[in-house]
Amino acid sequence: IFLPAPTQLSQDQLESEERLRAQTSYSTALVSSRREPPPYGHRKAWVPRSLEDFGDGGAFPEIHVAQFPLEMGRKKKTSNALAVQVDAEGKIKYDAIARQGQGKDKVIFSKYTDLLPKEVLNEDTPELQKPDEEAVKEVITRRVYTPSQQGVAFNSGAKQRVIRMVEMQKDPMEPPRFKINKKIPRGPPSPPAPVMHSPSRKMTVKEQQEWKIPPCISNWKNAKGYTIPLDKRLAADGRGLQTVHINENFAKLAEALYIADRKAREAVEMRAQVEKKMAQKEKEKKEEKLRELAQMARDRRAGIKSHGDKGGEDTEVRERDEIRHDRRKERQHDRNISRAAPDKRSKLQRDQDRDISELIALGVPNPRSASEAQYDQRLFNQSKGMDSGFAGGEDETYNVYDQPFRGSRDMASNIYRPSKNIEKDTYTDDFDTLMQNNRFVPDKEFSGADHGQRREGPVQFEEDPFGLDKFLEEAKQHGGSKRPSTSSRSKDDYHDKKRRKE
Amino acid sequence: LLQDVQKHSVHTLVFRSLKRTHDMFVSDHAKSVSMNCIGIILVFYKSIFHSIGVALTADTTMHRNPSEGGIHSMALALPPSQSLLEGGGTRNSTLARKAPTMPKPQWHPPWKLFRVISGHLGWVRSIAVEPGNQWFVTGSADRTIKIWDLASGKLKLSLTGHISTVRGVAVSNRSPYLFSCGEDKQVKCWDLEYNKVIRHYHGHLSAVYDIDLHPTIDVLVTCSRDATARVWDIRTKANVHTLTGHTNTVATVRCQAAEPQVITGSHDSTIRLWDLIAGKTRATLTNHKKSVRTLALHPRQYTFASGSADNIKQWMFPDGNFIQNLSGHNAIINTLAVNSDGVLVSGADNGTIHLWDWRTGYNFQRIHAAVQPGSLDSESGIFACMFDNSESRLITAEADKTIKVYKEDDTATEETHPVNWKPEILKRKRF
Repeated sequence: IFLPAPTQLSQDQLESEERLRAQTSYSTALVSSRREPPPYGHRKAWVPRSLEDFGDGGAFPEIHVAQFPLEMGRKKKTSNALAVQVDAEGKIKYDAIARQGQGKDKVIFSKYTDLLPKEVLNEDTPELQKPDEEAVKEVITRRVYTPSQQGVAFNSGAKQRVIRMVEMQKDPMEPPRFKINKKIPRGPPSPPAPVMHSPSRKMTVKEQQEWKIPPCISNWKNAKGYTIPLDKRLAADGRGLQTVHINENFAKLAEALYIADRKAREAVEMRAQVEKKMAQKEKEKKEEKLRELAQMARDRRAGIKSHGDKGGEDTEVRERDEIRHDRRKERQHDRNISRAAPDKRSKLQRDQDRDISELIALGVPNPRSASEAQYDQRLFNQSKGMDSGFAGGEDETYNVYDQPFRGSRDMASNIYRPSKNIEKDTYTDDFDTLMQNNRFVPDKEFSGADHGQRREGPVQFEEDPFGLDKFLEEAKQHGGSKRPSTSSRSKDDYHDKKRRKE
Repeated sequence: LLQDVQKHSVHTLVFRSLKRTHDMFVSDHAKSVSMNCIGIILVFYKSIFHSIGVALTADTTMHRNPSEGGIHSMALALPPSQSLLEGGGTRNSTLARKAPTMPKPQWHPPWKLFRVISGHLGWVRSIAVEPGNQWFVTGSADRTIKIWDLASGKLKLSLTGHISTVRGVAVSNRSPYLFSCGEDKQVKCWDLEYNKVIRHYHGHLSAVYDIDLHPTIDVLVTCSRDATARVWDIRTKANVHTLTGHTNTVATVRCQAAEPQVITGSHDSTIRLWDLIAGKTRATLTNHKKSVRTLALHPRQYTFASGSADNIKQWMFPDGNFIQNLSGHNAIINTLAVNSDGVLVSGADNGTIHLWDWRTGYNFQRIHAAVQPGSLDSESGIFACMFDNSESRLITAEADKTIKVYKEDDTATEETHPVNWKPEILKRKRF
């Protein structure tokens, strides 16, 4: 009462208003809202034209006009709707869709009950029994056929027919009947069977991860040339999976070998020592013997001498005499040795007379100048980069050696020349032997070598065979004026040379 | 067989045990089990429920009521069978209305490994046993076919000729022939008197995965990765029928004398039963969700089983009506084999073998044999298994390059290996 009337009415109020209106209109309306067809008998000039004219009935047979109540009866263009079919018991055949393309006898499972497990049957129920062998054989070899259409007219009254299988005769000369080189697309497959299981469960992420297969990294092939990190290359190797079991007998064998080796060494050493001792003893014995002999010989010699000698000398004189005696003996000893084995020259003496090619052939090492640590010069001044020069022609450059063999040192410096210095300690004792020794004459000559005379310098000049020295001197004297004489000279030389050769 | 204890509420456990008891005893028409006993049991349980109900807090009053309702429904269900029992005493039990039975699984002795035969250089993919039970043949990934003596396990003969893995072997019991098929599209017929190949069956477009011989007609059926199965006349090498219809590799084929004569299982998860005379599909079974890799026909019954990665299903001939699921072997099942005693063996890709009672679907044993020394543990897998003709030995072809032979454990009895049957109780709605 206090509030103004609502502008929008609620649902209840709307409905009540409708009812009121209907009630009022019911009493006052002349024509009802729903159009009914005229009742039977009053339809003479009436033709139903629209859907509403039929009311809730069907077509009017007395009105001779094509009628389509509820749009039934019109020729539809294309509709794949199946008409609802009903089976013998009156139940709607819902699997008509599934059976569309098949014959009515085809076995198709489409009901939910086909999916449910059946009760566990006893083993002896007849459904589970296999058909007899005879039944099976009979199916295969049936000769008698009972046609479904029977009557007096068909098969001239007989109920059954006997069938005989005969091979169809093939003409041996007949070429193939059909062309089989044409390719035609495949026909449509038979209609799919209804799927009798619930849709597959969704794959969880975890399960999808379980089925992931890592990419194959081959140890041999790499078709696209991928660069694969090393840990991935070895990942699938299976190395960590197998523990390598080494038989312990290997260790035992190694131990046994080691022990045997040691024992053998010890045995060899002991034997060597024993032999050495034996040899030493033998040597001593021999020396003793020799000493005795020498003594005897000395005694004999001394015995002759000793008669007119030494009576009351001083100990010092005797000592000095003894020393002198000893030294002389030693020198004699050495001279005897060198005389006895003149071939036993020291290596140094031997090598000095050899030709250079022989030294190289023998592989005598380069005489080292200093004993300090020497570095290969190729290690120094190796610059990488632009400074190192053009290394493009590496193949052509001959850079195996950076210095000539034996260097650019003077050959002269390598040849030994004894100086007049006798003060050098190295030669004190042997000085006289050294002086007398013919160093530059080999003890043993090569068979085809020149009988070399004493060299005076690094290169030994021969006698001037071609008279070139004389020629040069004359040239200097004449100052190059006398040409013809020179030419004649040259001719003479040439002839001389020729003669020489011959 | 030990299984994990499933956690259920007290209500569920009691209800289930009650139902089991009822189901077990209600069908014993011969025994005069009076309803009074069951009534007493019911009353007993009712009292338990009431006591539990009293102990429960106010929150669980809702739970209490349905349990009582359950008991009442049980009580209601019992009177019909009660009346049956009373009437059944006079009538023949077989004429009585078939009450739902909960059958007890038949006891089978457990199987144990008794021989390992090594000699192949690659996976052993297929096995066939000779009809006279003297020897068996194996085909392997090392492209050879080896014939082994069954009694001793010694190698008798090695046949070479295939270019690639030998996927299927079959021995004919009507002629001295051995048939083999391989991944090199070849199907060969070996004459065992000369140990040579005498025939090739040419026509497959891709690897041939399985082969089977018809028991009565001289016909050979092979199935292949080109989604077809082909029927060959043995003598003329002619391709009699090409059974098309599958949309993916046909992995397994079996032949039998009764209709349907050819059954194939494929990687498109369907099984097709074929009419050999017409060369057309008779029925298509689409119940499996994953590829069907193997089929096994029961030697006595008119039933067969198919194995796939989701579960093993049993079917009835001739239309392929579904009987039951054998679930529990959660692995990719590569092979199935059935015994006359009703033992079904399923061998999987992970090396496990499950042994089932055919009739009830009870898994009475699980075996996972150790790999040959020298093989990795991941190299365990079973590709083929077969019972020998005496049905006392099970021969399996494995991925660790060995052949394992199993036999029944004679020392086991029902007491040592009891049947631990806990079937899932289905709430069966009326359809």
